[in-house]
Amino acid sequence: MSIALDQVTKRYQDQPVVNDVSIEVGEGEFFVLLGPSGSGKSTLLRAIAGLTGIDHGRISLHGRDVTHLRARDRGVGLVFQNYALFRHMTVADNIEFALRVRRTKGAARRARRKELLKLVALEGMDERLPGQLSGGQQQRVAVARALAHKPQVLLLDEPFGALDAKIREELRRTIRSVQRELGITTVLVTHDQEEAFALADTIGVMNHGRLLEVGQPTDLYAQPATRFVATFLGAANLLLARQSADGIRFGATPVNAEGAEPLQAGREHEVVAVLRPEEVELAATREELASNFIARGAVEEIVFTGAFERMRVRLLDEPCAAQLLGSGAASDARLEVTRTQHDRRSLPLRAGAQIALGARRLHVLPTPLSSFLACAPTVAEAEELAREPLLERLSTNMKTRVGLRAIAPATEGLGPPTPPFSGVAAIAGGSDSATTVEWLLRHGASEVLVLPRNAPSPTRVFIHWTDEAARRATLAVSASLLRHVSAEAVYLGIVPAGPPGAGRAAPMRALLDARSEAQQSHGLEMRTELAIGETVTELTRNLSTGAAQMLVLGITDIAQGASAYRSLLAAQPGWPVLIVYRPAETRSLPDIAA
Amino acid sequence: MKFGAIKNLGQSEPSVIPGFGITLGFTTFFLCAIVLIPLAALVLKAAGMDWERFVAVITSPRALASYRLSFGASLVAATVNMVFGFALAWTLVRYDFPGRKFVDAIIDMPFALPTAVSGIALTTVFAANGWIGQYLEPQGIKVAYTWIGITVALTLIGMPFVVRTVQPALQEVQRDLEDAAETLGAGRFYVFRRIIVPTVLPALLTGFTLAFARAVGEYGSVIFIAGNMPMKTEITPLLIVIRLEEFDYAGAAALGCVMLAISFVMLLAINLLQVWGRKRMMVSR
Repeated sequence: MSIALDQVTKRYQDQPVVNDVSIEVGEGEFFVLLGPSGSGKSTLLRAIAGLTGIDHGRISLHGRDVTHLRARDRGVGLVFQNYALFRHMTVADNIEFALRVRRTKGAARRARRKELLKLVALEGMDERLPGQLSGGQQQRVAVARALAHKPQVLLLDEPFGALDAKIREELRRTIRSVQRELGITTVLVTHDQEEAFALADTIGVMNHGRLLEVGQPTDLYAQPATRFVATFLGAANLLLARQSADGIRFGATPVNAEGAEPLQAGREHEVVAVLRPEEVELAATREELASNFIARGAVEEIVFTGAFERMRVRLLDEPCAAQLLGSGAASDARLEVTRTQHDRRSLPLRAGAQIALGARRLHVLPTPLSSFLACAPTVAEAEELAREPLLERLSTNMKTRVGLRAIAPATEGLGPPTPPFSGVAAIAGGSDSATTVEWLLRHGASEVLVLPRNAPSPTRVFIHWTDEAARRATLAVSASLLRHVSAEAVYLGIVPAGPPGAGRAAPMRALLDARSEAQQSHGLEMRTELAIGETVTELTRNLSTGAAQMLVLGITDIAQGASAYRSLLAAQPGWPVLIVYRPAETRSLPDIAA
Repeated sequence: MKFGAIKNLGQSEPSVIPGFGITLGFTTFFLCAIVLIPLAALVLKAAGMDWERFVAVITSPRALASYRLSFGASLVAATVNMVFGFALAWTLVRYDFPGRKFVDAIIDMPFALPTAVSGIALTTVFAANGWIGQYLEPQGIKVAYTWIGITVALTLIGMPFVVRTVQPALQEVQRDLEDAAETLGAGRFYVFRRIIVPTVLPALLTGFTLAFARAVGEYGSVIFIAGNMPMKTEITPLLIVIRLEEFDYAGAAALGCVMLAISFVMLLAINLLQVWGRKRMMVSR
């Protein structure tokens, strides 16, 4: 591996800006770190360069651990957004800077300079001053300067940020060809997905200091695993669909979808699906559609962009419109559609036209957290619960909605509720929350979020499960949750107190298994801690160690889970607890039959 | 029409302050009334003497000693200011510490304080029985009433000039430049010598020039701490005042001319050095 980052964490004032990031970049690979501003990507790049120290983790370049090495000893070349050329020096002196520092002989220096200027197509510019060059030329000089000492790794921090579109594309091509010619391992940081697509062999998408997904551009675009990647890499419509034994349904209509996980334990549940604007088919009537019909719609807005036509379409079928998450506020979600000029000519449309919509390709996200449902005795209380800061923050970050439901655990019997619970049921914390949790789980909810009043957004999330059978689901839920809050993840393994020595190896192995499964199957980097003692006592003790902590708890048995954690859930002021319930495979069948 | 009115007032290229004619006229008037006419009067007055007497006045041992002291102490003070003023500006620009704003405001104090006040204050502190003087005296270091005291006074009044000119220049040295140099393999001292100093050098030289010019003309603070012994601690401006008090106007004017000439030559030299330095930096490293 050319660059290997192992669980790199960087905090500023206790807030993690880079959170447990592990990356491996192969020899000669062009790796693009993509993310919105403030996602920690530049900090990570500076950490690789050695300009920013890290709080945790390891960085190695070509197998050499450089974590504690200074920038000047790491052998990297760095290119900045604002060029950072030495303005009092000529182009020649700028490029030769690294060689002068190393006391290279004059002739060798000149030869290397000529070679580099030729590489970036700036021959004959040797004696110019940076002030006499255009922005694009200055950045070329910066690239040449960064390569002078033959670094093992080239790092580029938003190198095109200050340039206009034409020059940007030209420089992009230059950098790509220089990188190919030298075969140098390169990491580029950008917030521009087009740039990432154009340059990258591999893209890593960051948000909230976390590395969400790594993959080839085409794979990430076609099969994103998270809603952030789906919406950040190009435009995407997010839909809430239901998955049952018959397949995927959007509204009332079954649709073809790919990427759907097999149904878990036979329970019908809600999923989040991605519909790219270019995968939407438009036709005058439902019969003319070549693909699966999803809904009828009215064109609201048409924007001509040259090669494409972009539209916003309002869905006319109410139940369908409610399932559309869109990209803006949930209440006025519209379907984004793009059409080629060819399609436009065959079916010319104006604003106001009514059309049938079909989905050529729908991708189901593997995330288990689809939407939230605020549950309280009255709708007014549910509304109040929906305004809880943590719930608001989660739903905004997840671009999803919070539904409202009045429930009455005391009076309602055990019959199936209508409509079925979908998404994560959220309830207010309190002394009887355990009873409500039990009732919700018995009525088909799979995840319940217990929210104390005014709970802050967590900075640390503890993960624990009572039974190894709940591991997979709990990890999946935790991973999904942690993509949307900037918090550290800690798996807490708890073994009962007993004689030391005997029987300790198995829990340790379980700990390591959990970590590697989180990493490999869910892209979740977490730390692991082992506690000895009684489960609820240990959980409470750990949750009390700092402010703004949260617990994700996986259980397989409703009755046992509810009674064991009654005291934890009733604690005042308490912590947000997300309970993940998956019936253990062996016990689930009689459960359903009953 | 409002726009029409503005258009009529302004010249071909209207700017925020209208009236090129008025502003140029004022500039010329200011230069004449405050600078050129008094200087011309000075030269005329000196020209009233015959040449032998003029030479005799300006080359008298007492006059020569005063030049040495005035320009020597000013040079030393400006040099000290250049070094420590840079350090001060660096601290203020690069670090955030409690009381930074306060320190930043204190820098300007010598601008506002009447120079006589600072002179008296310094004398009190550095006199043989003063706060600091009483500890220096046993070490054999006399500050007040020696050339050292004069230099201290000149340093004090010159400091803000250096700090205030270097500060904005330092702010412009981006962190990125240092980071870039570091990734290219340069050590701290190398970065300081090759990147930071060349970038702020023009500002530093300007600050030096201003501090020096101010020191040469300083009178108020120095006369209190200098002791004013002829041949030893007598600065040229004081000598001029003494001549005036003796009603020897021509003699005073002659000394004034010499100061004028030396100051002019030195400022010219520094300016040329600055231009040359800038060119040199632009052309090679």
